[in-house]
Amino acid sequence: MDISQMLKSLQDPMGVPFYPFVFQVLLVLTFALHIIFVNLVIGGVFMSVYGYFKKGNYYRALSKAFAKASTINFSLLIVLGVAPLLFMQVIYDPFWYTANVLSAAWMVGIVFVLMAAFSFAYVFYMKLYKDRKHIGVWGVAAFLLILLVGVTMHAVSYQALFPEQWVNWYVGGSKADLSGTILHAFQLPRFLHFIVASFAITGIFMMLYAWYFKERDDMDKSYLAWVGKTGAKMAVTFTVLQMVVGVWWLLSLPSGFQFYRNPVFLTAGVLVVLLLLVLIEAQSNPQKYALPAAGLALIGVLGMTSAREALRMLYVGRYNYSVYTYKLNLSYGSTALFAVTFLMGIVIVSYLLSVVFKMGRSSKPLDLSSLRLRTWSVYLMIAWILIMIGIGVAIAS
Amino acid sequence: MYPVWQVPVMGSALVIAFIASFHILPSHLATSAFWFNVYVENKAYKENRPELLEFIKKYVLVLLIFSFIFGSLSGVGIWYALTVAAPKGISALIHNYVWGWAAEWVFFIIEVLAIYVYYYTFGRVDNKTHLTIGLIYAIGSWISMAIITGIMSFMLSPGKWLTTGAFFDGFFNPTYLPQLLMRTSFMFAVAGLYAIVVAGTLKRKEVASFIIRRASVWGMLGAVLTALFFRVYLWSLPAPARELYGMSILIPKIVPVIVVAAFAALLAWFMVVWLRPRWAKAVPGVLAILILLVGVFSAESIRERIRKPYVIGGYMYSNQIVPAGLPAKGIQGDLATIDSVGILHYSPFVPAGLRTIDTADLLKAGGEIAQIECSACHTLEPNGWLRPLPTMVRMAGLSSVDNAQAFIGFLDAFPFMPRFAGTAAEKKALAAYLVSLYRK
Repeated sequence: MDISQMLKSLQDPMGVPFYPFVFQVLLVLTFALHIIFVNLVIGGVFMSVYGYFKKGNYYRALSKAFAKASTINFSLLIVLGVAPLLFMQVIYDPFWYTANVLSAAWMVGIVFVLMAAFSFAYVFYMKLYKDRKHIGVWGVAAFLLILLVGVTMHAVSYQALFPEQWVNWYVGGSKADLSGTILHAFQLPRFLHFIVASFAITGIFMMLYAWYFKERDDMDKSYLAWVGKTGAKMAVTFTVLQMVVGVWWLLSLPSGFQFYRNPVFLTAGVLVVLLLLVLIEAQSNPQKYALPAAGLALIGVLGMTSAREALRMLYVGRYNYSVYTYKLNLSYGSTALFAVTFLMGIVIVSYLLSVVFKMGRSSKPLDLSSLRLRTWSVYLMIAWILIMIGIGVAIAS
Repeated sequence: MYPVWQVPVMGSALVIAFIASFHILPSHLATSAFWFNVYVENKAYKENRPELLEFIKKYVLVLLIFSFIFGSLSGVGIWYALTVAAPKGISALIHNYVWGWAAEWVFFIIEVLAIYVYYYTFGRVDNKTHLTIGLIYAIGSWISMAIITGIMSFMLSPGKWLTTGAFFDGFFNPTYLPQLLMRTSFMFAVAGLYAIVVAGTLKRKEVASFIIRRASVWGMLGAVLTALFFRVYLWSLPAPARELYGMSILIPKIVPVIVVAAFAALLAWFMVVWLRPRWAKAVPGVLAILILLVGVFSAESIRERIRKPYVIGGYMYSNQIVPAGLPAKGIQGDLATIDSVGILHYSPFVPAGLRTIDTADLLKAGGEIAQIECSACHTLEPNGWLRPLPTMVRMAGLSSVDNAQAFIGFLDAFPFMPRFAGTAAEKKALAAYLVSLYRK
C-alpha cells in the first residue's frame, strides 16, 4: 500500500469536532507547559541529589527545597502531559497510535517506571527532611528512571515520523514482532536538546526562587543571593550549551527541509538569543532579572515547541499528510463546553495560585477570606454542574 | 487497522483490566475523600475541636501519595494500555469525546493545584479560605468523575448517539445517571474505608473512635446506596446487555456472588468498627480494602462482558472492526470492504507473504487472521489466561476444517461474538488454524 494512502486510511472516520488548527494550537501550548515541568523535574531532582552530595549548608538547604518542589512539579508534569497527549491523538492519530503499538511494552512499562521514580523521589524528600544518612541512592534512582522515561517518550515520538519504516519494524523478516519490546529509533541531539534545556530552565527557576523569597523576613538573605547567583550561572552556561546542541541537531535534520530558513524556527532562535543576553546581564543581579528572564524563557519554550510542530509538519508532509485536511464533523456544543470550562478553569487556577503566592511570601498566617475569587470559584463550579444538569434534562426529555 | 500488540499468555485485554481495576481505588478515594475531609474540618472549627485536625493532615497525606502518585499515573496507564491494545477503539472515543476529556483535564489541573495548596496552607491561612480550597477540590474531583462516567457509560449504551452521532446524546445515555449515582455512593464507602484505616493509626484514642464511627456511618450509607443504585443500573441496561448478564457461559454465576459477598463483607466491617472502634487496626483495615478490590474487579468485569461483542456499543466490535458504520457522521462500516478484499489485505501491517491466501502458508495466514480478529478477547496459547482459543476450539468440537468453517460462518449466532470478517479463502485459513489448535 502507498504510504500516504495508508496514513489516510488510518485516520479516524469520526473526523474532528472542530477546526484542526485549534487542536494544533492547543497541542503546542499545552506541550510547552508540560515540557517546562519535565525540565523542572529533571533539573530539580538532579539538583536535590547534587546538593545532597555536596557539602555545605547552602547546598543542603537547596537540596531540600528542590526535593520538595520536585514532588509537586512531578504531579504537575503528569497532569499537564494529559492535554498534549490528547490533542496529539486527535490530529496525528495514525502516527501516534502506530508508533505506540510498535513499542507497546515500553509505553505501558513507563507508567510503572514513573510510579517508581515518583515514589523514590518522595522517599528521598521525606528522608531528607528527617536528616537521614545514606539516602542518595533514592534520589539517584529517581533521576535515572526519569531519564529512562524521557528516552522512551523521545524514541516513540521520533519513530512516529517514519511511516515508511513501520511495516518493516513490525513484520521485518518473516517473523512478526508483536511484542512491542523494541525501541526502533533514537536521535541523540534531539534527545539532548530536551535534557540540556532542563538545566537552563532549572537555573531560571532558582533565580525566581531567590526573587520570590527575598520578601520573607525569616529567610537568610545571603543564602537567597547565593541561590540566585548559582541559578543565573547555571542558566547562562546551559543556554549556551543548548545552542551548541541545537546546531548539532539542526545539522542532523534531513537537508531537504532547509529548516534553518524556517520562519518559526528563526523566531524561536531570536527569542533564545534575547534570553541569553538577558541572562548575561542578570549575572550581576539575578533577583532583579528573574522575572524578565522567566518571561522570556516561557516565550522561548513556546517558540521552540512551535518550531517542533513546524518540523513535524515537514516530516509528515513528505507523505502528503496535513492536519488541515482532516475530515470535519463540527460539534459546536461540545466545543462550547470545553471553552466555557477552560475559562472557568482560568479563574479558579488564578485563585489557587494567588492564595499560594501570598502565603509563600508571608512568614505569618494570613487572612485571605476577603479575596473575591474565593466565592466565585465555588459558584462557577456549581453553575457548571447546573448547566450540565440542564443539558441532560433537555436531552432526556 | 493498526498493528496488533500481542501479550503472551496474559493477553493485552488483561493488562488493561488489571491497571483499570487498580485505578478504581485511588481514583474513587480522590473524588470522595474531601467530602469527608471538609465535613470533619468544618466540625473542628465550628465545635472548636482542633484535635480533629490531626486526622485531616494524616488523611490528606495518604490521599496525596496514594491518589496523586499511583492514582493519576494508573489513570494515564489505562489510557496507554488502551492506546496499544485497542488503538482504533480509543481513537474513536477520543475523536468523539475530545472536548469532554479536555474539559475533564481542566478539572484535573484544579484538583492537583487545590490539594497541594490545601496541604501546604494548613495553619497558614484563615479557616474560611482553607475550607473553600477543600471544597473546590471536592467539587472539582467529583465533576471529573461525572465526566469520565459519561464516556464510560457511553461505551456500554450509546443510546440515541447511534442515530444522531451527537456528543451530548451519547454522553447522557441510558445508563449514565444510574452509573453516576452508583459511583457517587460507592466513593463515600471508599472514603469511609480509608478514613478508618488512617484513624486507626491516630495516637489519641478518643479522636480515633470519633472519626471511625463517623466514617463507618458514611461507609454504611455509601454501601447501601451503592447496592440500591446497582439495581437501578441493571434495570437501565439495554436489552442485549441484560440478556448477556443472564448468560452463565459469559458470566459465570460465581462472579455476581463474589460481588455480593465482597459487598456484604464490607458492610459487616463498617458495622463491626462502628460498634468496636478499637478493632479498627491496620491489618483488618487493609484486608477490607483488598476484599473491596476483588469485588470491584468482578463488578467491572461484568460491565466489560455485557458490552460484548462491542468495545463501543453498537458501533465497534472488540476486535476494532466497525460493522455498520455511522451515517450521521458519514462513516462507512469496514465489514463490506473486508469481506471483498480480505482482512489480510485490508490491514497494512501484515507480512507481504501472507497477503494472498492462495500462495501463502494456510496455517500461518490463519494464525495472522486470529491475531487480528480474535486476540483482543482470546489468548492464542493453550495456557493463556483469557478465554484461550485452544480451549474454545475443543469446547466447540472443531476437529475438522469443514466443521470449523461452518462454525465460523455462524459465529454471530452467539450474542456475544462478532461476525467473521474476511473472504471465503480467509475463512478457510482461519478454520485450518483453529483445527490445528484442537490437536495441540
